[in-house]
Amino acid sequence: MKKKLSPLGKKLRFFQPKETYSNDWSELSSQDREWEALYRRRWQHDKEVRTTHGVNCTGSCSWKVFVKNGIITWENQCTDYPATSPDMPDYEPRGCPRGASFSWYSYSPLRVKYPYIRGILLKLWREALNKTGDPVLAWKSIVEDPEKAKAYKSARGKGGLVRASWEEACTIIAAMMIYTIQTYGPDRLAGFTPIPAMSMVSYAGGSRFLSLIGAPMLSFYDWYADLPPASPQVWGDQTDVPESGDWYNAGYIIMWGSNVPLTRTPDAHFMTEVRYKGTKVVSVSPDYAESVRFADHWLAVNPGTDGALAQAMTHVILKEFYIENASDYFLDYAKKFTDLPYLLLLEKKDDTFVADRFLRASDLGMPLNKAEWKTVVLDQTTQQFVIPKGSIGHRWENEGTWNLKPEDEAGHAYQPTLSLLGVEDLVVSLDLPYFDDHQNSLIRRSVPVKQIEQQGKTLYVTTVYDVMLANYGINRGLPGDYPLDYQDLKPYTPGWQEQFTGIKGDLVIQIAREFAQNAVDTQGRSMIIMGAGINHWYNSDTTYRAILNLILLTGTQGVNGGGWAHYVGQEKVRPLEGWQTVAFARDWTLPPRFQNGTSYYYFATDQWRYEELPLQELTSATIKQPRYQHPADYNALAVRLGWLPCYPQFNRSSLQLADEAKDQGAVTNEEVLQYVVNELKSGKMEFAVEDPDNPVNYPRGLFVWRANLISSSGKGHDYFLKHFLGTSHGILGNDQQALKTEEVRWRDQAPEGKLDLLVDLEFRMSGTALYSDIVLPAATWYEKCDLSSTDMHPFVHPFNPAINPPWETKTDWDIFKGLAQRFSELAATYLPSSKKDIVASPLLHDSPDEIAQPFGKVRDWKKGEIEAIPGQTMPKFLIVERDYPQIYDKFISLGPLAEKNPLGAHGLSYSPQGMYEELKKINGTIQRDGVASGRPSLEFDRQTVETILALSSATNGTLALRAWQAEEAKTGLSLQDIVSDRAGERFNLASITAQPKEVISSPIFSGNTQGKRRYSPFTTNIERLVPFRTLTGRQHFYTDHEIMLEFGEGLPIFKPALPNLAFAAHEQAPDVSAKTLQLRYLTPHGKWNIHSMYGDSLIMQTLFRGGPTVWLNNEDADTIDVKDNDWIELYNRNGVVVARAVVSHRIPRGTTYMYHAQDKTLNTPGSPLSHERGGTHNSPTRIHLKPTHVIGGYAQFSYGFNYYGPTGNQRDLKVVIRKLEEVSWLED
Amino acid sequence: MWNQFWWVIFPYLMLALFVSGHIYRYNTDQLGWTAKSSEFLEKNYLKWGSILFHVGVLLVFGGHVAGLLIPKTFTDSIGISEKIFHASAITTGGAAGVITLIGIVLLSLRRLTVKRVRLTSSFTDLIVAILLLLIIAMGVYNTLGFNLLAKSDFNYRETVAPWLRGLLVFAPDPSLMKTVPLFFRLHIILGFALFGLWPFTRLVHVWSVPIEYFKRSYIIYRSHRQISRHAPKGK
Repeated sequence: MKKKLSPLGKKLRFFQPKETYSNDWSELSSQDREWEALYRRRWQHDKEVRTTHGVNCTGSCSWKVFVKNGIITWENQCTDYPATSPDMPDYEPRGCPRGASFSWYSYSPLRVKYPYIRGILLKLWREALNKTGDPVLAWKSIVEDPEKAKAYKSARGKGGLVRASWEEACTIIAAMMIYTIQTYGPDRLAGFTPIPAMSMVSYAGGSRFLSLIGAPMLSFYDWYADLPPASPQVWGDQTDVPESGDWYNAGYIIMWGSNVPLTRTPDAHFMTEVRYKGTKVVSVSPDYAESVRFADHWLAVNPGTDGALAQAMTHVILKEFYIENASDYFLDYAKKFTDLPYLLLLEKKDDTFVADRFLRASDLGMPLNKAEWKTVVLDQTTQQFVIPKGSIGHRWENEGTWNLKPEDEAGHAYQPTLSLLGVEDLVVSLDLPYFDDHQNSLIRRSVPVKQIEQQGKTLYVTTVYDVMLANYGINRGLPGDYPLDYQDLKPYTPGWQEQFTGIKGDLVIQIAREFAQNAVDTQGRSMIIMGAGINHWYNSDTTYRAILNLILLTGTQGVNGGGWAHYVGQEKVRPLEGWQTVAFARDWTLPPRFQNGTSYYYFATDQWRYEELPLQELTSATIKQPRYQHPADYNALAVRLGWLPCYPQFNRSSLQLADEAKDQGAVTNEEVLQYVVNELKSGKMEFAVEDPDNPVNYPRGLFVWRANLISSSGKGHDYFLKHFLGTSHGILGNDQQALKTEEVRWRDQAPEGKLDLLVDLEFRMSGTALYSDIVLPAATWYEKCDLSSTDMHPFVHPFNPAINPPWETKTDWDIFKGLAQRFSELAATYLPSSKKDIVASPLLHDSPDEIAQPFGKVRDWKKGEIEAIPGQTMPKFLIVERDYPQIYDKFISLGPLAEKNPLGAHGLSYSPQGMYEELKKINGTIQRDGVASGRPSLEFDRQTVETILALSSATNGTLALRAWQAEEAKTGLSLQDIVSDRAGERFNLASITAQPKEVISSPIFSGNTQGKRRYSPFTTNIERLVPFRTLTGRQHFYTDHEIMLEFGEGLPIFKPALPNLAFAAHEQAPDVSAKTLQLRYLTPHGKWNIHSMYGDSLIMQTLFRGGPTVWLNNEDADTIDVKDNDWIELYNRNGVVVARAVVSHRIPRGTTYMYHAQDKTLNTPGSPLSHERGGTHNSPTRIHLKPTHVIGGYAQFSYGFNYYGPTGNQRDLKVVIRKLEEVSWLED
Repeated sequence: MWNQFWWVIFPYLMLALFVSGHIYRYNTDQLGWTAKSSEFLEKNYLKWGSILFHVGVLLVFGGHVAGLLIPKTFTDSIGISEKIFHASAITTGGAAGVITLIGIVLLSLRRLTVKRVRLTSSFTDLIVAILLLLIIAMGVYNTLGFNLLAKSDFNYRETVAPWLRGLLVFAPDPSLMKTVPLFFRLHIILGFALFGLWPFTRLVHVWSVPIEYFKRSYIIYRSHRQISRHAPKGK
């Protein structure tokens, strides 16, 4: 072989004669092309792996990760998505710069490589273990010694994490769990991890382990305030939205509080493309957001007043498209698919009336099955009252009459009467609740009514539509306080809204007309994309319902290219049935404990102690006063009436109750449960929520994974620090003169450090990891098998490991498997025998429970208003057997119930027959003595992936067909043609790794995607007449639960933001010398992060100022002498932030923006006020619990995990800002 | 003994290192062969410091050639008197020295005081800056300070220059250096030390001055095949 010349040798060729051409204009260099190899090698790799990012952005983008010499090098977008259809743009490529930077984390300095335990705790543990030689006694000796407990709790968040072995970490955790189960019961442990769709198997690892033990999982969607309660209120559905491709079908789009290019980056191209097609785009946003640049019109609304804007647009649409120039399309849609023609009872009040609940068949004395749950319309032809099919009563009598055919129960066709005007018996005046910035008042208008004589009483009824027209001030020549024209300042005209929103009335009229006219012209292709900007408010549900008016009145919902598109943390687990079987261990035990996150944190962090606003100020003027003045009391009411869950459950251990009952002579399970009811009724036993500051009721252990609870989603950050964790904090307000509770016990001294152990599974040192007692090193998204899906597109994407988990990291599945193993080993000694666990469960949506409490009236057994009956007037109580030494065996195998019980979701169930045997072949079986023996293996994450895909209708055609057949039986409709062409399809890990594939249409979701159609929600309901899961089976404008009416929210209504100031009236704002300014405080999603993810990476930090920033308007900044990039302090009663000011005219005056989830781990100096490091974006926040969200046991107002329940809203706040002259980094 | 070391062994050692070091570095560190521009990090100091230093150092190099390599006998023979030579050496050499000194002072200050430049500097960057500063400062002192103030009858053209020429033709005479004042000696020793370090520092960029551009064709081809040793010269 010829020897290669050295670089110098080559260079010396310079002196050789050269070939030159073209009169010396060109020459042949004496140098070779070796240098190019460098660049070629840069892009060479050994393997390419398809995976995705398990981040909470709803993107679910398919990525290729490249590995070279065993090292992850870079990633690239996949470009092999199947084409959508020939006339529209494709999905590929998906991705954004944030995702493209992810490989930085694998080997970054932030990577958690080993198990860590806080040094103080580890030292205490080793001493205690040496002394006692018994892990459970050792743990007991630490947490029961106030000094020792305080020593390690008060050190949380202050560093001092030291490396420990997996063995030691698992032993401490298992000992803590066993001690807690023995002493208080399993419900004192809990797990928090959000958004299963972003990595389903990783979610399932922890939830499976905790569900087997009996520990509750905490919900996230409502806690994040991403859940729009309006959706269950209107549709009975959690959230169902169009995939982004469906934007391309729209003719008119309003982006309302949603910054599409920023927060839906991989999907934003559809918005650009549909604009080229000619679609008009309007942006409603208080600031000059990125979405505004897309828009033809910018409605720069004052923050928090969007409801007023929507009310005025509703006014215009009702007036012009229903009365003056009625659209047949709209009227037809309203009659068939909404509750507008349904009859309401009016309640007589002195000389006037107020709207009450829906009229029922039972009110008319009709002898029907479940007559209390069947609603009534007036037939236009016969002028008779008819009971249309499809109401919730039909749903649960299982007679195949649950459908939207325009027929009554007997099968006779009818024509609903929309308005009684013209056929009325008389016209009566109607008082309607009204809210503005000043006081809650009444508007008096009138409605045509029918009188019904029934059992000696006169019932006055009218339609929802007539009440709507009265409410919106549409004058049909009836007496009352109606506006004269659009400029009139009476509610709800375009002129009226201007005083709140600051938007010119004429523009509002124009947009409303265009939106509706487009819907007329295109048969419903007008769309509103809604986002967190309007969803995180206290009154966001009424705002949403006001906006949904526009959607429903124009017949756009359930039409491709039309309807609402709520994109706020709304990920969709496509393979839902299989996932929830594995994730909540439904294959072994039922029911799992599901706790609504907001209530849990509201009480655990003692935010309930800082309420300042009596509810009197927020309730309707139609009532004298609300049931309670304090929201916590409503929560306590909700728990005992079976509306909301409550874990920790009772002020006694749920494991000891059965033994106590036996001691009292109970023999059978029924007697045990009767004992529980008696104890509650007699007041000897309480729900934990009634005394949250009693040590017996504290939450004791919390597992957090796939989440940054403390620094990203912990609204009321400093309350978490003070009361939950017991470490130093920046709270500037106090609870001593706050609003007091009636039902929840007030203890003068608020506890600090309730939680015994916080365990975090993380791959980066996030804020939560720094506050945790134990940090377990997790594998990243490039190091495990998992599944990801979203509702932004119809694909299910796999995670595949590009490398094995490096250092001592493990996948989430393996970590919980390891914990289960250690736990079971210790349990064999400490919890050897089988235990009876009494589980209290709320009345659930999509189950017969939702027809437990008729007419939406509150009947409190504690006050003697009704008998206490489990499952009807109070929670259900169930006995679950716990065999703690078997937890590991159960964890690693698919249990017998997966073979026996039907699969399903959303009230639909079908047989899993054959799948269990098949999974034995796919996954192999467990070869080990005990309960797992011979069962399908779930030992490894990839087996869990296969199991989830095999047991779900969206990914298994056989099951999809069975699901549609079940839906046919329920509705009496013919539906299985929707899926018949795909019934033979199966998804597995290998097939979705080879290429993305669109999921199969399933009746557990409401959209029909047959034949390459884009997914749009409720198309099945509209086209195939499947009812909505609501009281009437139709889409609801009106909600008739007593508490909804108490808060004036029977109809959509405008309510201003809460009148909270930075400090409560009884508090003293700190005395500072600098000029200060009080501003509204908003925390929208940022450009350089997805929550706190990516925000701490070097790459993203270099893109914008590298550290926490707060945006404010230039004129506002001038008033307090703040220049761009100055350090400022921002504070209110809840906490303090120190950050740099970004001064910009794109921010409106009077408002400041701190973009979401800026963790305080980077470039965060100390605050002179709190003497702590200057806070996270959540330091100034505190949640406000809204009583209408606690309603349960009533049709669509029934609890579902992440489905209904109070939201952790945090927008209705003000802060004070001042310039910081000196910056202390707390480094001395 | 020391005389022998400092004026014979040490210079040869440094020159040997200089030559072999360059060959080694060029063959093994093609991608590191760079001036390591830090203009991205700081511009103002660099603008003045770099230009003054580079202009100055070229003039100083010329001065050293004129003063050290040209024998006194030659200038005498063409009629340039010692006095004129000396005066012009002090004025032009002094001016060039001062320019270079200002340049290197600015550059060194920049390297040490501008945080982002300091943090991105390697050890050799700092050594080079300090060595250059010392050498140039002493050179300026030797040219201006010593000649003007010390009123000594020392003449480097009769001592240092012949010694250096001897060194270059492999006939070094260390005895010539016996009477050389301290600062001249230090200037020379540090100078040779810099030559020794040179291949391992950013100073290699000196050899990458693209003078070949002056005669290169406008369009350059590179061939996949090995260039033959005797390529025909085409037109």
